[in-house]
Amino acid sequence: MAQKDLGFYDQLEARGVTRRDFLKFCGTMTAILGLSEGMAPAIASAVEGAAGSSLFPAVWMDGGLCTGCTESVAQVTKPDIATILLDILSLNYMETISMSQGEHAEEALHETATHNEGKFVLVYEGSVMTGLDGNLLRVAEKTSLESLKEIGSKAAAIIAVGSCAVDGGWVRSVPSVKADGYPQEPEAWATGVSQYLASQNINTPVINLPCCPVNPEWVVAMIIDAVMLGGIDADGKVTAAFASKLDEEGRPKSIYGQTIHDNCPRRGHFENGEFVYKFGSPEEAAGYCLYPVGCKGPQTKTNCPVVRWNDKASWCVESGAPCIGCGNFNWVDENAPFLGRFRNIGLGMKKPVNPAAAATVVGGVAVAALAAHGFGMKAAGRIGAGAPMEKMKDWDRKHGASKKGGDK
Amino acid sequence: MVKSVIDPVTRIEGHLRVECEVENGVITDAWVSGTLFRGMETIMQGRDPSDAYFISQRICGVCPISHGHASSMSAESALGVDFPGGARLVRNLIEAAEFLHSHILWFYTLAALDYVNPAKALEADIAATYDLAQAAGTSTANFAAVQSRIKTLVEGGDLSIFTNGYLDHPGYPEDMPAELHLIAVAHYLEALEVQAEAAQIIALMGGKFPHFMTSIPGGTAWVPTVEKLDDVLFRFKRVHDWIYSTMIPDTLAIAPFYKDALTYGGGHGNFLAWGVFDSASRELPDRYLPSGAVFTSKGLSVEEADEGKILEYVDHTWLNGDGKALHPSEGKTVPPQAFTGYDPKTEYSWAKAPRYDGAAMEVGPLARMVVAYLKGVAPVKTLIDTALEALGAAGKPEVLVSLLGRIAARNLEAAVIADWSLEWVTELIETIKSGEKLEFHKPLKEKNGKGAGLWEAPRGALGHWMNVSGGKIANYQVCTPSTWDLSPRDADGIRGPMEEALIGVPVIDPERPIEAGRIARSFDP
Repeated sequence: MAQKDLGFYDQLEARGVTRRDFLKFCGTMTAILGLSEGMAPAIASAVEGAAGSSLFPAVWMDGGLCTGCTESVAQVTKPDIATILLDILSLNYMETISMSQGEHAEEALHETATHNEGKFVLVYEGSVMTGLDGNLLRVAEKTSLESLKEIGSKAAAIIAVGSCAVDGGWVRSVPSVKADGYPQEPEAWATGVSQYLASQNINTPVINLPCCPVNPEWVVAMIIDAVMLGGIDADGKVTAAFASKLDEEGRPKSIYGQTIHDNCPRRGHFENGEFVYKFGSPEEAAGYCLYPVGCKGPQTKTNCPVVRWNDKASWCVESGAPCIGCGNFNWVDENAPFLGRFRNIGLGMKKPVNPAAAATVVGGVAVAALAAHGFGMKAAGRIGAGAPMEKMKDWDRKHGASKKGGDK
Repeated sequence: MVKSVIDPVTRIEGHLRVECEVENGVITDAWVSGTLFRGMETIMQGRDPSDAYFISQRICGVCPISHGHASSMSAESALGVDFPGGARLVRNLIEAAEFLHSHILWFYTLAALDYVNPAKALEADIAATYDLAQAAGTSTANFAAVQSRIKTLVEGGDLSIFTNGYLDHPGYPEDMPAELHLIAVAHYLEALEVQAEAAQIIALMGGKFPHFMTSIPGGTAWVPTVEKLDDVLFRFKRVHDWIYSTMIPDTLAIAPFYKDALTYGGGHGNFLAWGVFDSASRELPDRYLPSGAVFTSKGLSVEEADEGKILEYVDHTWLNGDGKALHPSEGKTVPPQAFTGYDPKTEYSWAKAPRYDGAAMEVGPLARMVVAYLKGVAPVKTLIDTALEALGAAGKPEVLVSLLGRIAARNLEAAVIADWSLEWVTELIETIKSGEKLEFHKPLKEKNGKGAGLWEAPRGALGHWMNVSGGKIANYQVCTPSTWDLSPRDADGIRGPMEEALIGVPVIDPERPIEAGRIARSFDP
């Protein structure tokens, strides 16, 4: 006998998510969305309300992907992914999850887009495969470019999840040696959704969530903001208020507004000149700063240290590994070698800049201070023997670092 | 003869097309096409050997741990470093967590809907469902809540992820009770939480999942403490208990309704494993799940696996090649200047066709379990013998070369690894408590060399080959499990393992080939 009248919280509790867990989750969402904590109950009631009403149509398309962003989103636990898929969204097409297959899956994609034209959300994962006229990826006997154009032009908004969908990710990076069959210019091979649609004069709004993979809580936050808190209005239009929360690259400012270094729990060790110089060392066990072994935290803008990963179990730096900057644009070419210390300090810009030059151009106290930190700890008298750092500084100087900014 | 096509094959990782010819309700020929080319191997050239660890994980978001490990091992073997003992224990644990995560995700999230029908779950009687769960020895859930949830979805008219599913397909056995469908749907939803818990183990040791950070060439950047390992052990225990209380009994409860799947879907019957989970010796045959090659047509015996016997063919792919098959250490990946179109008679896939001693080899849990069974690995032998008895095939391990055998092998492997994972965490905790000094990382020193990292992903044998010259990667080649299992025909026209496994499979409705989908997904591509 079915119990039709089980409420939202009963349903959650039946799956082991308590009301308290859920409200805590809503609190996290306020942080990601840049709202005050007082907004948590409003989010809770919006989710509860959405779960009780008709489902918001959505489709999830796969470009040149590894499925890592799907995997990542499947790691959301409060509300769990089942709540999102069964009680909030009607996700009528998602290759990795859909019950249907083949032409019947394809039919679900096109019917959803046609019946809900201008009123559904498209989530795009993976690179837009532009090479060989789009034939690097064919699905249902069409190039993936044809499908993206058709579905993308009908969507109310597109959420580009992960670095691949944002700008081509690692797939757009180029071999540093000439390779047979590969174009010299990276955009000829793979690019991101917003860049590709712009080239086709399709102006559907794109929300960019770079990182490799995307953090699942960011995706949920965007769904809550766009779908449940009215970021997309009843006519399928993205509101001005919602648009104003995005930076000029289409990224939510609340997520991508600060560097990892700004929020890093190891920042205190950085300030004290306590560094890891060798993996697996006692300094590593003690959780010292990973800057000398290549951490890209200072030039990577995401809120990873705050939202963390896998139901907040940990995050990269906490596990003892340096940030590799996977939330940056063109992250592989810009950040490799990943375990090499970066002599240039970017500002979350597309092109990293020399720290001294950045201090001059931007005139930013923060930038100058950061440069001073990286290159001038000895001056501050906080590094003990300091030998490894001295060697690095010599190397930095040879490669263009200024003695200015505290480095005497 | 009718054509029956699945494009796209859903509920897999990546992009796949399967085309079959069906005659008198049986598949008589098949072509499997990998429809995406990204170019990972080429992008790696000229980079720092350590970078490959981070980049190559992005081949697969479901098995990045295995790619990371194979990549680090290829750098270590090329540049002459033995990663230290502490790192061995840590890497085994992270890999185990990924295997458990992946096998749970495969059985429930990806494959289950081929065997279990949410529409049938609506007809279940709740009290009878509890009775059946108890009789089957599987765990109970709030079955009423699950049924009401599916009912709300269906009555609302938005079917979400079930849209256009084959909810009325006659391929779901008529005699399988609605109550069993409901139990499985409840566990389908519960599995989402358990796979996440397994992934949290990876996050604790590797920063995040997917794409972890710590098993860098030379060892691991994660230095364990007893406190950190308590968190790991707690989660391994929960995952372990769920596999035994739910996944294994579910498998055994559903299997009898698909017994015909013991009679088809086996394919060539050739199996290859490099082995996984290093023992102290680091030798491939000594791994907890050892390396080996089996040709069942020559009898149930196992020979040592030799990576020198691999050649990769590109004749039926869109990749360029000069007609010569190459060993991966000398391999090339060259995309064409222009796309020539899909044609099963000539070129129809981006996947290369690797062959071992000229044979198309199946890789994956079935290959590992067959190899381990024939090598007498005790826990594997016990579990498989028990399962064979439950399926009425006691003493007949050859029935494992089938669709049902492939499914059972994966789920039984999860049970074996879950047991080992608890032993390994405890071993590491005891070692740390004893005060023995464990080493976790050694830096790479050499600037030149050639190496291979031979390992296993959950879905099968995985190899990374790295040539380093002057401290930079001069050539990088990867032979993934899917390259083996989904390979197209080779120069001699020998079908790939999945293509061969499709031959002889009965298809009720060529317009809705749920049976071909089952075969494709059974490889966990």
